[in-house]
Amino acid sequence: MSKRYRFFIILATVAIAFAFLYPTLRWYFMVPKEDQTLALGSREQIKSYANRKAQVDIKELKELAKSGGDVPERLTFLIKIAKENYKLAKLPAPKKWDARAVLSAFAGEKEALDAIESKYREEILALKDLHSSAVQLGLDLSGGMSVVIQANLDSLKERLGRDLTDADKEDALNRALEVLNSRIDKFGLTEPVIRRQGNDQIYVEIPGAADPERINSIIMGKGRLAFHIVDDEATTAFRTYYSQHPSDTFDGEGKLINPSVIPADTVVRGLYNKDKYGLDTFVDYIVIKKEVGLDGNHIKNALVDRDQITGRPEVTFLLDTEGGDLFYKLTSANVGKSLAIVLDDKVKSYARIQEPIRDSVRLTGFGADEANNIALILRTAALPVDLEVVNQQAIGASLGEDTIRQGLNALLGGIAAVMIFMLLYYKGAGINAMIAQILNLFLMFSVLSAFNLTLTLPSIAGFILTIGMAVDANVIIFERIKEELRLGKSRKAAIDAGFDKAFWAIMDSNITTFIAALFLSQLGTGPIQGFAVSLAIGVISSVFTALFVSRLIFDFGTDVLKQKSVSISWRIK
Amino acid sequence: MKHIIKFSKSFLPAVIISLVLIISGIVGYVVYGGFNLGVDFQAGLIQEIQFAPTALKLTYTGKGVAGISMDKNKLEIVISGSDVEKKTYSYPYASYQNLGSLADAMAGIEGLSVELVAGRDVATNTLVQSAQGNPRLGSVPYGIHYVTPEAEPVSIADVRKALTSLGSVSVQNLGQPKDRKFLIRIEDKGNEADFAKVTAERISTALTNAFGEGQVAISRTDYVGARFSKHLTEQAGLLLFLTMLLILVYVSFRFQFHYAAGAVLAILHDALIMVAFIVWTRMEFNTTTIAAILTILGYSINDTIVIFDRIRETLKLYPDSSFEDNMNRAITETLSRTFITTITTMFAVFSLFLFTTGTMKDFALALLVGMTSGTYSTIFIASAVVLFWEKRVKKNKVKAAVAANASLKKA
Repeated sequence: MSKRYRFFIILATVAIAFAFLYPTLRWYFMVPKEDQTLALGSREQIKSYANRKAQVDIKELKELAKSGGDVPERLTFLIKIAKENYKLAKLPAPKKWDARAVLSAFAGEKEALDAIESKYREEILALKDLHSSAVQLGLDLSGGMSVVIQANLDSLKERLGRDLTDADKEDALNRALEVLNSRIDKFGLTEPVIRRQGNDQIYVEIPGAADPERINSIIMGKGRLAFHIVDDEATTAFRTYYSQHPSDTFDGEGKLINPSVIPADTVVRGLYNKDKYGLDTFVDYIVIKKEVGLDGNHIKNALVDRDQITGRPEVTFLLDTEGGDLFYKLTSANVGKSLAIVLDDKVKSYARIQEPIRDSVRLTGFGADEANNIALILRTAALPVDLEVVNQQAIGASLGEDTIRQGLNALLGGIAAVMIFMLLYYKGAGINAMIAQILNLFLMFSVLSAFNLTLTLPSIAGFILTIGMAVDANVIIFERIKEELRLGKSRKAAIDAGFDKAFWAIMDSNITTFIAALFLSQLGTGPIQGFAVSLAIGVISSVFTALFVSRLIFDFGTDVLKQKSVSISWRIK
Repeated sequence: MKHIIKFSKSFLPAVIISLVLIISGIVGYVVYGGFNLGVDFQAGLIQEIQFAPTALKLTYTGKGVAGISMDKNKLEIVISGSDVEKKTYSYPYASYQNLGSLADAMAGIEGLSVELVAGRDVATNTLVQSAQGNPRLGSVPYGIHYVTPEAEPVSIADVRKALTSLGSVSVQNLGQPKDRKFLIRIEDKGNEADFAKVTAERISTALTNAFGEGQVAISRTDYVGARFSKHLTEQAGLLLFLTMLLILVYVSFRFQFHYAAGAVLAILHDALIMVAFIVWTRMEFNTTTIAAILTILGYSINDTIVIFDRIRETLKLYPDSSFEDNMNRAITETLSRTFITTITTMFAVFSLFLFTTGTMKDFALALLVGMTSGTYSTIFIASAVVLFWEKRVKKNKVKAAVAANASLKKA
């Protein structure tokens, strides 16, 4: 391979590595803390933030339009949209783009509101994406809380009175996840992470701050499903009130500031749909009766079917005898009204009651995905899974700060010691090793960023150890070159022979280490994994820097700088 | 040419010393009745607490959402929400040196009320945040604690006494006595539902009863259930076995089977030496310790392969020398590399040992021991096994040749 070619490969690697590292640098060093806070919130929280913010803006814009004022600086992006709208409608563009002209470009107030809202939302969502492509700090560094929950499948087996199939287990765990996801509240500083772990465990994490109460509110209980009658008039009235008072309807805790806007026997709940990512998204507010129409534990099963004539998906659920009687009474008394399916505090779906229904209920009017979702939710009530906490960690934020400092000091101290030693022992070649090691560290962090891995203290320890061990490849080569020089070979010959002879020693030893690291990384999710992953990354990148980069630096000295001797030892001249 | 050191002369004494050390580890294991198991392997609850009285209490009744975060240099309150202007209020301790000035400044935030519990002249750089309670400020007062350097050390006996009602509790001192930090450990016998939550509350109540309200800040809580720890032990054992098996296969493939056997015996030796060290020092045995052992496996195998590679080469270069001489030559020639690599890695690990605390420090210490053993075992154990094998095979070959001769004569 020509040297120029190799040089370009190295340049390309560095460039790619930088591109991977960039989101991390931007998130941690360039995004203001307030924006970070917002971006870490749940999607729902972001949406309601954007909505309320847009409501305030539109109000101001309307007032400005009345008084003939200009569009405020922060809303000038609307002018561009307005121009497009004029063009589409083939209207002559107004002379001056003031507030009135801009507003009249939109079909109605709602369109203008949507335009502003989506602008705000996209800004924050872009930041959220940035965060998810940056290196995440582990709980031990950021502080926070994590819980590992085990689905108790044995008790489910007892209840069903039969052995569980794989599909049953899958279903059970998905239901448990559904319940947990639906409890992610819209408050709190950071959005909890909820993910499956293995076949029967769920991992919940709230980074940033140890907040036992909040995590308990997510994991406690089995999820309560119930049917409630919707108060249609109150719902309409509330939505009108909310659009007029967007910013002072709810307080910071999500409670109504003025409870008298809805009848005393009702409560306001959010209606949620799944977006295409499977996340709950807020649709609108619904006012439902406080009184439970029917408790979900009367549900025996729920299935997704297709209508035989239209082929549209429909959900059928069966009630037990007692539930059927109750349901019949409820539906007969409320024909023409709507019935809401409520899981914990969220309305998952609602449908109009056409006629009194007894024990087999058919729900129609939605797509296949939504039908599956609703059936899943209904089954959570039919077959609740017991969840038990098997591991819990809470780490104070200040302890995390301490840990970061310790890790950084150890990293810097370790690198400094290794480099000073290499410089003193190998003279000029030590600089070569130093460059290789700095590049090595840079590559390791960028891989961490590229694969979205979590940085923990053990992974920092892995880096430190890797730096110590990565020098080994350099040492093997340098010692070889020294031996060749002692035999009286020229600079070029000694370097060539040194690299050739060291090649298999380096490959074999690193492949075996890599095997060990790979197995280690399979052990649990805890400290060992972080450590092993960074060790494995380090092994690969150190082979690259030692065989590729370090070689090129030597060749550069020989070919370009026309060096005749090798500065590699105090004894060999 | 360099002087070749006769390493093979010391193989036998080295093996004996290693055996003695490993057996002493097993004896220690029996004497102590096992490892000093960490929370990862023993179901239970661990809490790190610090005796730190409450300095301030904060309540927030504004329209937004208020969160608090603290570090060594500053306290920050982040207000977010749509109707309030999103804003971070930052209070560096350098500008607000005492509690009084900090409280006055914070009282300026709309909706936030500050109740001063400690004196106005308490230095702000002594403030600590507890890992308990909700860091989102609300109507329930949120306490911020402080540790004065002059405070009387709390005696460990008092802490134990306060917690006697909880049954068998282990209490350990952390750091300097003036830090007033303790580690509390309670085993989960699995006969109580909701153990973690209930026990954390009991600890809190017991400490409040003994030392007064708001005197203790919690810096860390870990809970591990019985199912989790059992799973981990099984997994660790299985992975260790698989790692060794795969290394055995790879080294057999690249060298020969008896080299692989030597390499695997050498890393097994390192693991057992580390176990002996961990048993005798009563170091806590947890996932981090396992990580240390597994790391040393990787490190030691690396070292061993480099020497094997050299033996392979010298065998080709000097086919007329005996295997033993070639082995001594290979070890001698790679000796400087062995030393330099060990030194650089030790520098790195020593830095880890120096700058970290708690389990990471233990990890670094275990690594230092393991590395010493790893370097030693490469030269004296792995090579000894290979040499022993070569000699035995040769002897068998000679025997076979003699036997073949004899049978020829008979015929």
